[in-house]
Amino acid sequence: MPDTIELELSVNSRRQALRVEPRETLGEVLRDRLSLTGTKISCDAQVCGACTVLVDGLAVSACTYLAADADGREVRTVEGLATDGQLSPLQQSFIDHAGFQCGFCTPGMLMAATALLEEDPDPTREAVIHGLEGNLCRCTGYAQIIDAVLAAAATGREGAQGDEKATAHEAAT
Amino acid sequence: MIPRFSLARPTTLSEAFESHLAAGGDAAYLAGGTELLQVMKMGFAQFGVLIDLKGIEELGGLEVAPDGRLRIGAATTHRTLERSALVRERLPALAALEARVANVRVRNTGTIGGNLAFAEPHSDPATFLLVCGATVELSGPNGRRELTIGEFVLGPLFTAREPDEIVVAIHVPATGPSSGRAYDKIAFFERPAASVGVAFTVADGAIREATVAVGSLTEVPTIVAAAGTAFEGSEAAEAALDGPSGAAADAFGALDVVADLNGSPDYKRHLAGVLLGRAARTALREALAHA
Repeated sequence: MPDTIELELSVNSRRQALRVEPRETLGEVLRDRLSLTGTKISCDAQVCGACTVLVDGLAVSACTYLAADADGREVRTVEGLATDGQLSPLQQSFIDHAGFQCGFCTPGMLMAATALLEEDPDPTREAVIHGLEGNLCRCTGYAQIIDAVLAAAATGREGAQGDEKATAHEAAT
Repeated sequence: MIPRFSLARPTTLSEAFESHLAAGGDAAYLAGGTELLQVMKMGFAQFGVLIDLKGIEELGGLEVAPDGRLRIGAATTHRTLERSALVRERLPALAALEARVANVRVRNTGTIGGNLAFAEPHSDPATFLLVCGATVELSGPNGRRELTIGEFVLGPLFTAREPDEIVVAIHVPATGPSSGRAYDKIAFFERPAASVGVAFTVADGAIREATVAVGSLTEVPTIVAAAGTAFEGSEAAEAALDGPSGAAADAFGALDVVADLNGSPDYKRHLAGVLLGRAARTALREALAHA
């Protein structure tokens, strides 16, 4: 019987109590135990960014982040971006700007960009490029993704001036 | 998958040492895990017990100590250093360097202590901290000691740290008056292909003291004494830097440069020469601004 540890964490605002092996990564727990397969494991070496999730608001590589380190913390995955069936402004912006083709990198791109915009709601193009340089896409060539993030930032700023939906979204996330 | 291990979560150094002793040597200390978990996953290392250091309060903290040095708790993440107002004010080159380490996810989890203890030859912080005259404070069951970066990093992935010792903090001497420090790198992959750190002190319109270190070229970050000497006595003006920068870069010719995926030794020397010119300008600007 291998060593196991008890975890209590919040995943997309839902409390989860789990018993896991210390060696299990957050990516394994999200995908295999909680069936949240939106988080993709690709390079498995913290280089590609496909597995990006947020832990207490910070982007991390779920492939190499121990589930044990998420104990007592708030985890957000791509499944948590939409609220009541309504895509987040960033998700909608990816659609509007054709910010994906095959879509495999998209959950990671969305989570990395979500963290970036929460930290800096009005980023320069350069700041978006710098913030996303650790997320690889092999289809789009990146320009559409950066456009999508910048447009979502602009939408978010308009929304912040009194749009109820944006307020509700912030409250939910 | 990562090979199976048990996890210890001490909250004090002595508990951590006890866990290490109890494991009979089959243990490793864990901080951000960006290096350790990776090598375990790849099958290069396996340990029965990982001892998580993140719950030990003494490994945190980031402040100017009474002795004037910047004390960086070993468990401080790259991201915290990047965003710290104190670091930006006291050691802007370190904040700028940290903002460019790997990618944002590694910066959010990886720690400065873990980075130095792993001793990757392409480490950004090690090269710059070497130029700064920084020291690494270690604590073990038999006491504490403080080593310079040169004494600490002994080879690629090899340090003077005993298996049961823990990196507690990094101490960086304050930048003196009329002094400046800079770091520049070029990276084609996640880690730098070549990097250069420069520290200058100016007086009476001339560069009086100069230290130059290279990273990613040699097996360990290396101070190139002849490169520093090439700047000493030169006029402290950006327009006058080209000559000494060229002479300093020539000193890289004597280094035993390692060929790797980034390029041949000569190519990496060339890259370091270009970076040296840039870092020298930045260091000089900072030194003149602090005059």
